[in-house]
Amino acid sequence: MSISEKTAAVVRRPRWLRVVGALALVSTAATVWLGLWVTPPDAVQKNLVRLVYLHPPIAWVALYLAFGLSALASLLYLWRRTRSMFWDRLAASSVEVGVVFNALTLATGMIWGRPTWGVWWTWDARLTSTALLLVLFLGYLALRRVPADPEVRARRCAVAALVAFVDVPIVHFSVIWWQTLHQGATVLNANLSPTIHGSMAWTLLLGFIALTLVFVWMVGVRYQIEVLADRTGAERLEVSLAERWAEGELESPSAGGNGHGNGTTGSPVRPPTRVGQ
Amino acid sequence: MSYVDAGYSIGLGVLFLYAVGLFLRRRSLERAVELSPPPGPIQGPTETGSASGP
Amino acid sequence: MWRDALLVAGKDLRIELRSRVALWQVLPVAVLSLVLYAFALGPARHTLAAAAPGLFWLAVLFSTVLATQRSFAIESGEGTRDGLRVSGIDPAGVFLGKAAAVAAELAVLQVVLWAAMTLLFGVHVHTAWLAIVASFLATIGLATAGTLYGALSAGLRVRETLLPLLVLPVLAPVLLAASRAWSGALTGPVSSGESWLRILGPFAAVYLVVGIVLYGPLLETA
Repeated sequence: MSISEKTAAVVRRPRWLRVVGALALVSTAATVWLGLWVTPPDAVQKNLVRLVYLHPPIAWVALYLAFGLSALASLLYLWRRTRSMFWDRLAASSVEVGVVFNALTLATGMIWGRPTWGVWWTWDARLTSTALLLVLFLGYLALRRVPADPEVRARRCAVAALVAFVDVPIVHFSVIWWQTLHQGATVLNANLSPTIHGSMAWTLLLGFIALTLVFVWMVGVRYQIEVLADRTGAERLEVSLAERWAEGELESPSAGGNGHGNGTTGSPVRPPTRVGQ
Repeated sequence: MSYVDAGYSIGLGVLFLYAVGLFLRRRSLERAVELSPPPGPIQGPTETGSASGP
Repeated sequence: MWRDALLVAGKDLRIELRSRVALWQVLPVAVLSLVLYAFALGPARHTLAAAAPGLFWLAVLFSTVLATQRSFAIESGEGTRDGLRVSGIDPAGVFLGKAAAVAAELAVLQVVLWAAMTLLFGVHVHTAWLAIVASFLATIGLATAGTLYGALSAGLRVRETLLPLLVLPVLAPVLLAASRAWSGALTGPVSSGESWLRILGPFAAVYLVVGIVLYGPLLETA
């Protein structure tokens, strides 16, 4: 799919992104094939072990890769020497994709937990801190949607991301302690990692690689969307200002083509000549 | 449907749907950029063609 | 920085003393919430006594959100924030000052809540030092994190709904640790309550530092 010059001026479609996307697709398909059909069932967990090819990789992407990247990018944005909208957009993209992976971590974790523990939800350390992390970063997304000047928004969100990220180890430790002190927890904290060997180990590794590639690709596309959205947002603002100016002209009784808009709000912004004149 | 199947379907399904969503968002934004007027500087009153009226 | 902090804290507290919003609004809501908890959980003494530490800190948590919103609402007048920025006051000082003011309000709140809780839930503090130290650390953590997020959402029209969403998840560990600590101080084994100080302390320290470092960049945006 080719894109016009105008769009290309805004955002490039780099080849590496397409390559990553293709690799992501292939490796994910390979993981699924190996995970569901080729590898043997575990001695203890039987077929449930197949979820280990998905759940830990998804969790790794969500918790470490996505949010780690967003914290790093936020830091780099805030630090004057490296400040650039690139980091802000990267952080935002990483958070959004991270939230998706985070939700999936919870979903796959619950699906694994149900037959293992008999319950859909338990307040075990990992599930709880993952759930809290999800809410933390949903907050970031909510903050991002508040309309503001891009640089203002960028700084606000960068601080929010860092503050949230700093909370993560604290949450992690406190919830672990919470569970160890709570007597009933030991049963439910059963170690879910089976002893991995042979084809299972390779499949697990492939799973990590595959989902990392998926993440990279998704962040890449999401970044492009961010660039495009900023651009069309800016243009939409111009167009709507122009429209409002034109409307003001039409409504004002003294509108004799007087370009100074004495009936309007007196805003110093005038549309470019191409609009309606 | 076994738990494993459910896990894989939901995991991969959501990722796939999100990916499709990304594609669609990018395409609609690219169209918006295509259709939008070329960017021009925001001009002051003196540069507006009809400043002096008929 | 410290002098600026005292200046700002003094200003905020003086405004509070004059307007008494925290006194007449935040405090009553907190006490009211204790009553509502009883409505929700039933009047059985043992239920309430068992839940008391958690309920206490829930009330404090929600009051923190209110107090922080208030702390930034007083500056929402035209140009107040710009005035603060241009006046050359060290932003870290502003942060410390505002956080200190919020912390002071929270401290007063906790004393009243503790009295109310003793009355309404029939609980007694057995190990006072643990309760006090836990409160001290937790309050610092709540005030600093709250002020940081308050600044972040200041001036936004959606502030009322956004601030809780942003700040409550971050404060969750404080809720957890402080409740467990107070549980140790009220009834349970002191040693287990004590161990939770090891969460409260670092949390307070971390957010104190983070606030000092990040408040400057944040103020620039206002």
